[in-house]
Amino acid sequence: MTWFAWRQFRTPARVTAAGLAAVAALLAWTGRILADQWASSGAATCHLQCGTAYDNFIQQVTSSVNDHTYQYLLFLVYVVPPLIGIFWGAPLIARELEAGTHRLTWTQSVTRTRWIATKLAVVGGTTAAAVGLLSWGATTWSQHIDTLKYSRVTPLIYGARGIVPVGYALFAFTLGVTTGMLIRRTVPAMATTLAIYIGAVLAMPLAVRSHLAPLAHATPPLDISTIQGFEIQGAGVMSVVGGASPANGWVLSNATITPAGNVFVGPVNPTYCSPTVGPQTCLHWIGTLGLRQDITYQPTSHFWTMQWAETGIFVVAAALLASFCFWFTRSRLT
Amino acid sequence: MSSPVLHAEGLSKRYGRRLALSDCTLTIPPGRVVGLVGPNGAGKTTLLQIAVGLLPPTSGTIEVLGGRPASGPGQLAAVGFVAQDTPTYPNLSIADHLSFGAHTNPGWDQALADDRLAKLGLDPSQRAGRLSGGQRAQLALTLAIAKRPDLLVLDEPVASLDPLARREFLQTLMAFVAEHGASVILSSHLISDLERVCDYLVVLVDSRVRLAGDVEDLLGTHYRLTGPRRDPRDTPPNVEVVEDSHTDRQSTQIVRSSIPINDPLLSVDQVSLEDLVLAYLSQAAGAPRPALEMTS
Repeated sequence: MTWFAWRQFRTPARVTAAGLAAVAALLAWTGRILADQWASSGAATCHLQCGTAYDNFIQQVTSSVNDHTYQYLLFLVYVVPPLIGIFWGAPLIARELEAGTHRLTWTQSVTRTRWIATKLAVVGGTTAAAVGLLSWGATTWSQHIDTLKYSRVTPLIYGARGIVPVGYALFAFTLGVTTGMLIRRTVPAMATTLAIYIGAVLAMPLAVRSHLAPLAHATPPLDISTIQGFEIQGAGVMSVVGGASPANGWVLSNATITPAGNVFVGPVNPTYCSPTVGPQTCLHWIGTLGLRQDITYQPTSHFWTMQWAETGIFVVAAALLASFCFWFTRSRLT
Repeated sequence: MSSPVLHAEGLSKRYGRRLALSDCTLTIPPGRVVGLVGPNGAGKTTLLQIAVGLLPPTSGTIEVLGGRPASGPGQLAAVGFVAQDTPTYPNLSIADHLSFGAHTNPGWDQALADDRLAKLGLDPSQRAGRLSGGQRAQLALTLAIAKRPDLLVLDEPVASLDPLARREFLQTLMAFVAEHGASVILSSHLISDLERVCDYLVVLVDSRVRLAGDVEDLLGTHYRLTGPRRDPRDTPPNVEVVEDSHTDRQSTQIVRSSIPINDPLLSVDQVSLEDLVLAYLSQAAGAPRPALEMTS
C-alpha cells in the first residue's frame, strides 16, 4: 500500500521537490547578497552602537532585490499551507469517491484502516517536511530584517516564521481530507477547506494568540518626539497616542495615562492648543503634563512560547481530524 | 457438501427511508458460477457490495467463504471484485495497476496477469484513462483474477460493453474458472448475458430474493402448460403457477412442479431460462409473494 500511496502522490511530490529546489536556489543567491549587505553595512562587526550600521543595512536591503525577496518569501510561507489543504488534502479521498476507485482499492487485500493510514502518513509526512523546510529557510533568511525592520511577534510576520506554518499545513491537509470525505466532491471540498482554514488561521491573531503567553505591561513616560498623534475634540476633550513600542513587541493596547493613572482625555489648555497657535506649542505643552504610556504587549522573547503553543493547537486539531478520518473510513464511508 | 460461499440471513439494507435490500436469506453453494439477475434498482449492487464488504448491512448477517466480509486482509484476499463501470485510475498505466495489485495482494499471480495482458494485446505503458470500455473492463478483471481469489464477484461487468467485448470478457472469466476452480457471482439485468455461463441463478426483484436455485433444477421443475381456456384456480395439484396468461380460447401458464405433469388436456413444454426468469419478474410486478428457494 505504501508503494501505491507514493505512486499516486508521485507527481505532486516531484512538483514539490522542484519547487523547494527553486526556493533553495533563490535563497542561496539572494542570501549571498544579503550577507554582503550585512557585512558592508557594518552590522556584522559592530558592537554596542549599532544604530547607524543597522539603518545602513536596512537602507541597502530596501533598495535591492532582497526587498522583494523578503515579501515574496513571506507571501509564499502563508499560501503554501492552504494550497496543500486544497490540492493535497481535499482530493485525497474525494477524488477516489468521485471516480469510484475506492471500490477497486478497498477490495484488494488491504484493510481500509491501512489504506487511510498509509495515505495520511505519506502525504501528511511530506506536508510537514516540505513546509518545515520552507519555513526554516524563510525564518533563517529573514531573521535580520525581521528584527531590525519589523518584528517577528507581530501578526503579519509571526504566521510565516518558526514552526507554526507546519501546524497550519498539517491542519489544512487533514481538514481537506475530512471535508473531501464528508462532501465526496473535490471542488466543493476545496472551497470548504479554504473557507474553514482562513477562519481558523485568522482567529489566531484576532482572538487567541495574545493569550498564549502572559502579556507584558509597561508604563514608559510619554516621549513627545515619537508621538503618533493627538486629537482635539469639542468641549476641551483630547486624546493622545504615544509612539513607543517596547523592544519590537506586538502591542495589543496603548493608552496614554495621567500621573494619577487615568486615561488622559484633557482638558485642553486653549492657551497652547488652539488653531491660532501651532501644533508644536500644543505638543510641547503635552510634554509638560507628566503623561505616561500604558502599554500591554507580547515581547519578542515570548516568540517561541507562543509558537509552540499555537503549533500545538493546530497539531492537536490535525490529530483530531485524522482520528475522525480513521473512524469515518472504518465505520461510515461507503 | 463443503461450506457455502455465501450465506445470508435476514439481510437488509436501508438508505434513509428507501429499502434497497429486504430480508434477504440466501445460501449459495461453492464451486458455482452464480447469475444474480434482476431489473435495475432491484438491489443487486447492494447485495454484492455487502458481500465484498464495501457496504455494511443495516440488519441481518452475511458470511462469505465462512467469514465476515472485509473483516481482515485474509478475507479480502479470498474475494475478488469487479465493480460496476469497472473503475480504474485514469492517470496510471496498466503496468502501474498491475504493480498496485502485486503490492496489495499476497497471493498475486504476476504470470497470470502478464499472460492475460499479452493475450489481450494491451500495451502495459498505456494509461488506463485511454482504454476503451471493454479494455478497461478487461483490466479490472485481470486485477481481480490475478489476486487468485476463491470467490470472484462481478457487478454488471458486461452491461456497458459491446457484444464482442462482452463475449471476450465472459470467455476470459470462464477460462479462469475452468483453470482455477473459483466460485463466481456475477450480476446482470439481462438473463441473456448470463445464460451461457452461469449454472446457478438468483433472481432479485424489488429488493427481495424471488428465486434461487441450480439452473438445471430450475429448468427441470418449470413447465409451460398450454391448453383450452380454464379458470386460473383450476390447476393440477402440487403445482405452483408462476405466470398465467389467457386469451379467449387458450390459457398459457408457466408453473413450477417437483413432479412431472401428466394431463391429457394440456400440452406440457420445457421453458427456457429466459422465459422462466421473465415469468418471475412479471409475477413480481403484481402482488409480492414470499421468496422461493430451491436447494439442490
